[in-house]
Amino acid sequence: MKTMLAFIKKEWMEQVRSGQLIILGIIFVLLGIMNPAIAKLTPWLVEIMAETLAQSGVIVGTVTVNALDSWQQFFKNAPLGLIAFIIIQSRIFTKEHQSGTLVLVVTRGMDRTKILVAKATSLVALWSVGYWLSFTITYGYNGYFWDNDIAHNLLFSVVCWWLFGLLMVSLVVLFSTMAKSNTGVIAGVGFSALVLYMISFYPKLSPYTPTLLTAGNALVRGLKKIREYQNSVATTFALIVLCFTLCIPIFNKKQL
Amino acid sequence: MELLNITNLHKRFGNKEVLKGLNLTVPQNSIFGFIGKNGAGKTTTMKTILGLIKPEEGAVKVDGKKVIYGKTKTNRHIGYLPDVPAFYSFMTAKEYLAFCGEIAGMDKAQIKTRSEELLSLVGLENERHRIKGFSRGMKQRLGIAQALLGHPKLLICDEPTSALDPVGRKEILDILKSIQIETTVLFSTHILSDVERICTDVAFLDNGRISMQGKLADLKSSYRREEYLLELDNEEDKQTLLRVFPEIKKNKEGALTFYESEHSLFDVLKFITAKKVALLKVQRMEPSLESLFMEVVEK
Repeated sequence: MKTMLAFIKKEWMEQVRSGQLIILGIIFVLLGIMNPAIAKLTPWLVEIMAETLAQSGVIVGTVTVNALDSWQQFFKNAPLGLIAFIIIQSRIFTKEHQSGTLVLVVTRGMDRTKILVAKATSLVALWSVGYWLSFTITYGYNGYFWDNDIAHNLLFSVVCWWLFGLLMVSLVVLFSTMAKSNTGVIAGVGFSALVLYMISFYPKLSPYTPTLLTAGNALVRGLKKIREYQNSVATTFALIVLCFTLCIPIFNKKQL
Repeated sequence: MELLNITNLHKRFGNKEVLKGLNLTVPQNSIFGFIGKNGAGKTTTMKTILGLIKPEEGAVKVDGKKVIYGKTKTNRHIGYLPDVPAFYSFMTAKEYLAFCGEIAGMDKAQIKTRSEELLSLVGLENERHRIKGFSRGMKQRLGIAQALLGHPKLLICDEPTSALDPVGRKEILDILKSIQIETTVLFSTHILSDVERICTDVAFLDNGRISMQGKLADLKSSYRREEYLLELDNEEDKQTLLRVFPEIKKNKEGALTFYESEHSLFDVLKFITAKKVALLKVQRMEPSLESLFMEVVEK
């Protein structure tokens, strides 16, 4: 445990000194602010465009926005945050493989599984803090401008999205133990996400695919019920566990 | 007492068989020179000792315990300095040693005293910059410091001096020599003068096998073939000697050399006295490591 904490401390120091932490912080804060900002600005933008639209014969009525519009933006922008996160963190393992810095760590007697767990923990923590920071900011503004109470199943819907992100994080870890460079990691995660989307096009399979978890908008608007997501949550959990279990033997056999 | 024992080690990379049944024994408290040409398999052998490479056949034992690929229990007794050590460049030397100590499970006070001790041993005690800006020599010295942190029984250095200038090389060799009392050192190299300077034992690696190993002094004396060198003033006398003693050879510098087994020294000297040949010098040749190495490699 002590050795793992020492490794996590090193990861933290690296995130801070390489500037990755600050970049991620800025991205997630910006996304958090953008969601209510876009919602707030919509009526004003529509008003500006109304005149030109009226000239071409389209009549636009007054637009009212509420917290639901801001939450819609939240679910629209969450993928941006996740993609940025994956790209920035795709080098977390491969950088060490390429430079050979892990050789001295392993030859010092540190268990490879501990290295893996330390890195995975750091990634999960970073994703969680970033995501929930973004959520808290949006939640705060929404409460200030409008009323969050009109959103259905709000907590469940955002937990679902977080869980989907967690699956992507576990894929980053899995592909990091296999790929030689970060392009390999990004390609692997991207391809997996694509496969998941393709599967979700089959109506029979779609309730089971993790991609359903990203459909938070339907939840907050009350168009879908929590129990419709149960199977998808279960598959996602299973896949996360599978990724984290698979990467241990792969990493143990990896030539450093 | 043997600290390291390798038996019948085989390793192939694709079609290339790098190690073909390597046997090696390193006695305790020796400075062991592991000599071989570039690509002879020195690094492969060392990485196998550290459990970083999986051999096809054979066993490695460190301090009596078997090395298992991917597992690193035996590494607790080993300090390792790779040929090009890679550190976390965002740390300072002190921070890096602290990190190394922590992952090895040392306690805070221990880490502090040991890192100060080692940083002054390698001359980095006043270095406050991050490793990013270190020169190769500085990195190599930090590499030795991190390798010695846990008081290892065995220190493995992979060509520690190859990339350094003469001053840097001397510094590294002096450090290695100074730690012999508590640590056995195994270092690979192709620089023979480094070996002659500090090693007590040597092994020659050639074509995937150890072709010769033992105490440096023993090897030298067993390979001493009683070679003599004669320097004469007069060219005519040289020709006469070459005619009378057919096995005598003339070297590049114009001096004559021969082995006792071919012509007895006394016969030659008798001839020289009888003919009143003007003699400048008679010398018994000491075998150099280089001549040993060449002989081993050419065999």
